[in-house]
Amino acid sequence: MHFAAHLWMPFFDFVFMRRALIGGLVLACSTAPLGVFLILRRMSLIGDAVAHGILPGAALGFWFAGLSLPALTIGGLGAGLSMAGLSAWITRRTGLREDASLAAIYPISLAAGVLILGLAGKRLDLLHLLFGSALAVDETTLTGMLWVSGFSLIAMALIYKPLLLDTLDPLFLQTVSRLGPIAHGLFLTLVVLNLVIGFQAIGALMVVGLMMLPAIASRFWSRRLPVLIAVSAVLGCLSVWFGLLLSFYYSLPSGPAIVLVAGGGYLLSVIFGPVHGLLRRPPLLTSQ
Amino acid sequence: MITCNALRWGAPGQPLTPALDLTLEKGSLTGIIGANGTGKSSLLKVIAGLQKPLAGKVSVEVPRRRGLSFLPQQQHLDRQFPISLQELVAAGFWGTQLTPPQRNERLQAVLEDWCLSGLEHRPLMALSGGELQRALLARMSLAEAPVLLLDEPHAALDEDGQALCWKHIHAWHDQGRTIIVVCHDLASVRHHTQHVVQIKSTGCVFGPSKELIRPQPHMQVA
Repeated sequence: MHFAAHLWMPFFDFVFMRRALIGGLVLACSTAPLGVFLILRRMSLIGDAVAHGILPGAALGFWFAGLSLPALTIGGLGAGLSMAGLSAWITRRTGLREDASLAAIYPISLAAGVLILGLAGKRLDLLHLLFGSALAVDETTLTGMLWVSGFSLIAMALIYKPLLLDTLDPLFLQTVSRLGPIAHGLFLTLVVLNLVIGFQAIGALMVVGLMMLPAIASRFWSRRLPVLIAVSAVLGCLSVWFGLLLSFYYSLPSGPAIVLVAGGGYLLSVIFGPVHGLLRRPPLLTSQ
Repeated sequence: MITCNALRWGAPGQPLTPALDLTLEKGSLTGIIGANGTGKSSLLKVIAGLQKPLAGKVSVEVPRRRGLSFLPQQQHLDRQFPISLQELVAAGFWGTQLTPPQRNERLQAVLEDWCLSGLEHRPLMALSGGELQRALLARMSLAEAPVLLLDEPHAALDEDGQALCWKHIHAWHDQGRTIIVVCHDLASVRHHTQHVVQIKSTGCVFGPSKELIRPQPHMQVA
């Protein structure tokens, strides 16, 4: 009973913990299908590239407007989308490999972000921007997170079928429908939107962990797409819950705490997962 | 009717062949043959509108919705993709207005047609190459398009599977659909199709299959 109370108590007693929890849970639910589809599209790295890309935009927003949610969001959104777009454009025009093109974008974005923050003065803690703080989730941020999560869940439900076919068999989809590019574009926009809204609470770099780790871990639990998404959402929610508790009781930064719990979930899935997990006998040779 | 006017295709700057002029009548069954790398699959993609021609024009007279169905080569499918055979086949229903019971009935019939009954819930990664190929063909059956473009429908099929495949192609042909088949098996193309387009680096030849392809003493790969 005493132990159970520890699991709930901080969220009852403190408004900032409650806000961080609600924000984190809805974010975990809306990033789950995004992460799963990113992996299926072999675009796992794009989350990282976009998260780095957000930095200079958010830093510029901060420079001009201070610590305001709309400024940080618009700056982050613009920069994230243009970094992802620039990388895709270079790949298409020059034939540079997609991963190399993304890897080139990371350091440029990160360095630009750090440089702009340096020029802007020391008022915004760089560590806060990179790794987040649960304390940062105020009423406005939480409302933003609820809107973004609600919007992306509805949008994902609407584009689920064309996105699935566009991922599995784009040639087939192209012959029966023109929805492929629309679904693809909307999907990437949702990825950027979720990363941008998540970066204040969990940090620009850490929110990618919340998006990708549960999605990668879920692959060890099922072979069916809807189940993968559900498992991913549950793992994400558990990571947020226990990560925030760890952060509360041991005074840890919230972003890394959440991502490390998700990382623990991933390692446990690798070992114990029923689909190709390490303890699964006999070992299967196919891999994803 | 499918018309190609001075059509050139291939990678930019490297057209694969001299220009192709071709008219295929509605309801015809045509084979495309040629050595590796001559651009058979690319030509099929250009006709399907999946790839832009380098020069010239191609026009396919079909309704905009559900007018054309394309059977891709199975290598480009991710075999690890977490869906079942039934879900893959049911994608053929895209754009149809059937009720769920009608869909289910039609789906079961098509699965039976392609000897896939009992495999409905098997994940993609657990299918053999032949089973996956029959699933892709079954999806094409559901699409019921008037123009069918098949890229290597034989691939991965055993003798029975190939016979089943040609049986369905003839059934589609009898229904008045226009069909183009890219195939390496010259004996089959000679036996089953009326006309054939032979793609060579020197130019394309169009004519009756029985005249363009000599009788094959053995199974020969082009």
